[in-house]
Amino acid sequence: MPSEPSGNLAPSLQNQTDAELIVALRAGQKAALGVLYDRHAGLVYGLAMKALGNAQEAEDLTQDIFVTLAKGSSYDPKRGTLRTFLAILTKSRAIDRLRSRSSNRQMLTRWQQGGQPDTTPNLPLEQAFQQEQSQEVQQALAQLSTEEQQILKLAYYDGLSQSEIAQQLALPLGTVKTRARRGLLKLRQTLTQITE
Amino acid sequence: MAMVMPADELELLIAGYVLGDLSPEEAAQFEQVLAQHPEIATEVAQMQLALETTYAPAEVLPPPELRSRVLAAVPTPFIQSEPIPDLAQTRQRFSLRTVLELAAAAAILALGLNNYRLSQALQASQTETEKYAALTVQLQATQANSPASAKVVIDPNTLKGTIAVQNLPPLPPGKVYVLWTVLEPAAPFTTDDKDAILTQAFEVDDRGASQQDIIVPAAFRAKDFVTKVAVTMEDAAAPQKHVGAPIVAAPL
Repeated sequence: MPSEPSGNLAPSLQNQTDAELIVALRAGQKAALGVLYDRHAGLVYGLAMKALGNAQEAEDLTQDIFVTLAKGSSYDPKRGTLRTFLAILTKSRAIDRLRSRSSNRQMLTRWQQGGQPDTTPNLPLEQAFQQEQSQEVQQALAQLSTEEQQILKLAYYDGLSQSEIAQQLALPLGTVKTRARRGLLKLRQTLTQITE
Repeated sequence: MAMVMPADELELLIAGYVLGDLSPEEAAQFEQVLAQHPEIATEVAQMQLALETTYAPAEVLPPPELRSRVLAAVPTPFIQSEPIPDLAQTRQRFSLRTVLELAAAAAILALGLNNYRLSQALQASQTETEKYAALTVQLQATQANSPASAKVVIDPNTLKGTIAVQNLPPLPPGKVYVLWTVLEPAAPFTTDDKDAILTQAFEVDDRGASQQDIIVPAAFRAKDFVTKVAVTMEDAAAPQKHVGAPIVAAPL
């Protein structure tokens, strides 16, 4: 009864996989969104904070991401994990916000300076995802070829699609896929000690 | 049928799943392997962790109130729209002309379907409004010597009802009474950490009485999910915090 907390809501949902929760959510079970939020809000908000550097904007973006997930996203649980989908969506929307912020600033500067273009480089965009990688991570990355590193970074970190990467690096699509997967597998094998 | 797949091929398939780049054929293959070997989920999680350890920043917990803001931004009950197709893929697959032709065909079809859907919806809503029996709940005082009582009448078809209370203790300044709908812990509705949904906040007159119309949660249409209704005293500024003990209550 209300005087005593009885733990979190819907324990049966708590035990479901992300894919099952997405199915429940698409069937109209709003409680599934709460469970997904509890699992992944830390990742989304962490990425948003890193990219935007502002708590208010990061909160707005986090809300935007989960509302998008509830209202119907292109996520297909058969093709990939929800976390990767959320991470890439968050980065892509963060970059949109930075661009819009930057173009607003350019307009304002142009207006203030009487038509002088703003030549300030978009620093947050470049620095946003640059993290202090641990020594273990640096060692693990060193096991990958330069191309594997580059492809993984473009795919996960910059959120480019495989075909965009293929075009950018002038490589066949199949090669991009294979190198990304081999690269990740090497990371997994090298990082075993710290991830297990 | 057990699927035999070399370990390194399976690992690469898992890597593709974690990167979200499986082709439809690979996705079908992965789904089959996962169904046969659910333990692969652990390897998926490890691979995900390796990817995030390398490329994602540390997780940061958002302020606690963001959760309720997110949930409040999604209407209840809500119907999810069709998944939005990936625009880049759509662009590759269809020429503009195909898209326009499809759109025109869809518009013609939609016009025809519209009347059909309307009549279906009308029929469904007519059936629905006759589906559930009205519910009358007498709430008794939780303290043996308290004269407090309440009566809640609910029509689950319209989700409208009334609450009438008597002899509740007078409200101190800054306090308010709250009617809660308490659900089974596993019920598929968003509740607070006491499995309750704030149903109505109200004040009482100097005799501790009040009567008013209420709107109840859709959970009343699946009555098995509702375990109890209860009235507590809460802070008027934050009744949703749900810190008061029940003053009157009734099991369902």
